Amino acid sequence: MKKISPINRRKISITLVLLSLFVTFIYVGLRSGPLAPIRVVVAKVDRGEVATSLFGLGTVEARNTHKIGPTITGRTKILTVDIGDAVQAGQLLGEMDSIDLESRAASQSASIRRIEASSYQAEATHSYAKGEADRAEKLFPAGAVSKSLLDSRRKELRIAEADLLAAREDLARAKSDYDAIKNQLDNARLVSPIEGIVVLRNAEVGTTVVAGQTVFEIIDPKSIWINARFDQISSSGLKENLSAKIVLRSRNGESLKGQVLYVEPKADSVTEEMLAKVIFDTPPESLPPLGELAEVTVSLPPLVSSPIVPNASIQYVDGKTGVWEIKDGSLSFVPVVLGSSDLDGHVQVREGLKGGEDIVVYSEKSLSVHSRIHVVDGIQEAVR
Amino acid sequence: MSGKGIRIEGLKKRYGEGNTAVYALKNVDMQVDAGEVVGLIGPSGSGKTTLLKCLGAVIDPTEGRMTLGNEVIFDNGWKVRDLRALRRDKIGFVFQAPYLIPFLDVTDNVALLPMLAGAPNEEARKRAKDLLAALDVQHRANAMPSQLSGGEQQRVAIARGLVNRPPIILADEPTAPLDSARAMAVIRILNNMAQEFETAIIVVTHDEKIIPTFKRIYHIRDGITHEEVGEGRNIE
Amino acid sequence: MINLASRDILHAWGKFVFTGIGLGLLIGVTLVMAGVYRGMVDDGKALLDNSRADLWVVQKDTLGPYAESSSVNDDIYRSIMLMPGIQQAVNVTYLTMQVRKEGKDVRAMVVGITPNTEPTYPGWPPYLVSGRQITRSHYEAVADVKTGFQLGDKITIRRNKYEVVGLTRRMVSSSGDPMIFIPLKDAQEAQFLKDNDAILQSRRRVEGNPVFNQPGIPNLLEATLAAQNTNSYVNAVLIRLAPDFSSEEVAENITRWKRLTVYTRIQMEAILVGKLIATSAKQIAMFLVILAVVSAAIVAFIIYTLTMDKIREIAVLKLIGTRNRTIASMILQQALALGFIGFIVGKISATFAAPAFPKYVLLTPQDSIAGFFIVMLICTLASIVAIRIAIKVDPAEAIGG
Repeated sequence: MKKISPINRRKISITLVLLSLFVTFIYVGLRSGPLAPIRVVVAKVDRGEVATSLFGLGTVEARNTHKIGPTITGRTKILTVDIGDAVQAGQLLGEMDSIDLESRAASQSASIRRIEASSYQAEATHSYAKGEADRAEKLFPAGAVSKSLLDSRRKELRIAEADLLAAREDLARAKSDYDAIKNQLDNARLVSPIEGIVVLRNAEVGTTVVAGQTVFEIIDPKSIWINARFDQISSSGLKENLSAKIVLRSRNGESLKGQVLYVEPKADSVTEEMLAKVIFDTPPESLPPLGELAEVTVSLPPLVSSPIVPNASIQYVDGKTGVWEIKDGSLSFVPVVLGSSDLDGHVQVREGLKGGEDIVVYSEKSLSVHSRIHVVDGIQEAVR
Repeated sequence: MSGKGIRIEGLKKRYGEGNTAVYALKNVDMQVDAGEVVGLIGPSGSGKTTLLKCLGAVIDPTEGRMTLGNEVIFDNGWKVRDLRALRRDKIGFVFQAPYLIPFLDVTDNVALLPMLAGAPNEEARKRAKDLLAALDVQHRANAMPSQLSGGEQQRVAIARGLVNRPPIILADEPTAPLDSARAMAVIRILNNMAQEFETAIIVVTHDEKIIPTFKRIYHIRDGITHEEVGEGRNIE
Repeated sequence: MINLASRDILHAWGKFVFTGIGLGLLIGVTLVMAGVYRGMVDDGKALLDNSRADLWVVQKDTLGPYAESSSVNDDIYRSIMLMPGIQQAVNVTYLTMQVRKEGKDVRAMVVGITPNTEPTYPGWPPYLVSGRQITRSHYEAVADVKTGFQLGDKITIRRNKYEVVGLTRRMVSSSGDPMIFIPLKDAQEAQFLKDNDAILQSRRRVEGNPVFNQPGIPNLLEATLAAQNTNSYVNAVLIRLAPDFSSEEVAENITRWKRLTVYTRIQMEAILVGKLIATSAKQIAMFLVILAVVSAAIVAFIIYTLTMDKIREIAVLKLIGTRNRTIASMILQQALALGFIGFIVGKISATFAAPAFPKYVLLTPQDSIAGFFIVMLICTLASIVAIRIAIKVDPAEAIGG
């Protein structure tokens, strides 16, 4: 075997060192930085139906809110219920302090009795006058009484009749007065018009409230709904009776079933949203707080089968919407016309694809026709 | 023999000008024939090194005349344009310390000179190897200078001095670092080479061991040379 | 003729290679520094590229939405859309804030995009690396991978939780913060809605103000409070031009008739690169100059030392008739070889070090090529000192003395 001279040994080792450096250099030059191929993830275009659905946000509201308050200004005397209490229709909720109404009612009933007494007297006078007048009428043709007496008797009867009428009217007036006071006394009582739950109590005992101010708010728990708002852009197909999934913010994850009661004919022009009322199929056991945020997903009827692409694959190149197709390892941009999309990111393709093509779903950076690509299973995994 | 060898007549070297002028060489007359080895002896400060530098064409003599073979190379001024080529082709150097180029192997240390003179690499290396063989160090042809012993280094240095077949070789204390036996070996080689290559060799030395071997010796004192007849002792 | 430079390198190759590697690390730092600058510029450009807009409509006389804050009414886009030459006009909000996920928080730029449009609209992330684009108009997010979030993570922006449905890459603000895309309405809320405490305090303040809380008008307070919490502003309107319209023309039209400020892509780039990162760029340029000078000094010193070590050999070489040119070229070749090794080591180390930097480091091939020639130039200049010394060496020194 030929001995390698020291010079040659050095030559070999330095060549190895330089060669490995150079190879690494070429490698890093081509495999990293702007010259490196772009890693992409590729998928086949599927055909299928897109189960489109709409996503909206709403707040829990009661359909009807009964605001109960006094019709007169006054102080509250008793309040029998508090927030959260269930009430029956007609149940007394509280009473206003009527101040002098009670005594005025007492005085009025006394004056009614007095007027009743005086009307008895007028009745008695009238029946006496009537008896006298009848007798005089009977006796006059016989000439038993004089014409003047008869006239006198008739006049007395008319006076008695007028007196009686006056007494009766007086009584009616007094009774009406009493009723009026009595009514006022009733209005001072706050009564629930429905079976429901007290959601608001604005005053404590002894508070002075003005006429028309709300003391209690009562709602019917069976009538709560979601006042939902949907973006106008994508709310085509939103109509009543569609089934909906409702997720309340406080019960994240638990979805409740419901349906669209009606879509409001007036949209919100400021927020560019459509409004719809969504009711629960069965109201939740415990009443959700009014004003709580709720996410509403309304499912629309499925559309006809068509090619479907993930929305991550949709690109915009030179004024056209399309996808990057890989054919025989080279990239080409295929313009497409998109249809509906669902909330899981599937988009219907109306024109441009047939299904079965290989398209780029994910890429490390924006692609162009000249991009060098490297197909991987997952970019994140490849990076790590 | 007058066609070869070196003749130096009335060589002077002055350092400085005017009042401060100092003559390092006052009057040097030397004649060394081809195939002859002469000694140049002198105490320190005698102008020995200055003379060597003048002969080696690395400093300029002030006046005088130098003839190399038939060519007058200096006559009150250099008569050759390229001193570098003169040194390369006509003058061989052998130093006190061998001063081999540490990053070249033995062959290339020797072959460098013909290469500098324009010889192709292969031919230069062949010449170097032949010479190394002649000097009996061919077995170290691929070694680096640092791997050689002192005597081997000196032999390689001699090979380098001889490789371009210069008419004159200047050897500056070639035996100083060597023991007596090796010093004698070097002198023997120089003598053999002088014969073989018809080269005039000037050996600057104050090595007592080798002085008796010279047939002729130039003494230099205060810049003036005196010729003496040496013992010319047989080296064998 | 044998190559003296390569023989010398071969002879002392360990020393030479290690010197080269040391020099290479220094060159690597310099390349990374250049990469940091390129990265900053690229961050700015990425921001503009990723918005995919041709024009930016912002509040009058502001440099918004990136360099200054800007707010325009969110219904202005409707009237802009009616102007000639406009294909798409969409609202967008930008807000740099801390985004929380469980214990940790990440500084990110939250971008509000108009949901339920095609994902090709301006403002949307142009490409994803996993997941999907936003489909719901609320509470979904697409995040840059640099945020460290994963698909399915629930992140908190202000008071709402968002589910990460998609991940993207290289979506950064001009200061390098990763972006998080969320639906516009959520973003508007995040930007202008105060925290609960602040709302409560301001509500108290209004309640205490008799002007807004009159006993005779029970609904006034509620109306006032509601008015305070609405927001109808966005930071900018992004415009995509219809084909065959020049951006200057359309921009001038909008500026004149809508009393808004409009920037074209070129102007926007000038703002971002020229104004936003100008100081940092100068800072880095200073560092580059210093590093170049230091590198040059070190190369010069190394070459000088290598030459001084060989001064005796050089004298011998000259004595035996080596031409100055040969010696000079030996030194120059060694300097260039050193520079070459240094450059390769530097490029490799820079490439491997770049991803470890917290901000984006962009190593462009142009920079590398320029760097190569600069290194060679520096090495050439650095060898001049050594060459001068070598040429001045007196061959007489080789002859004892």
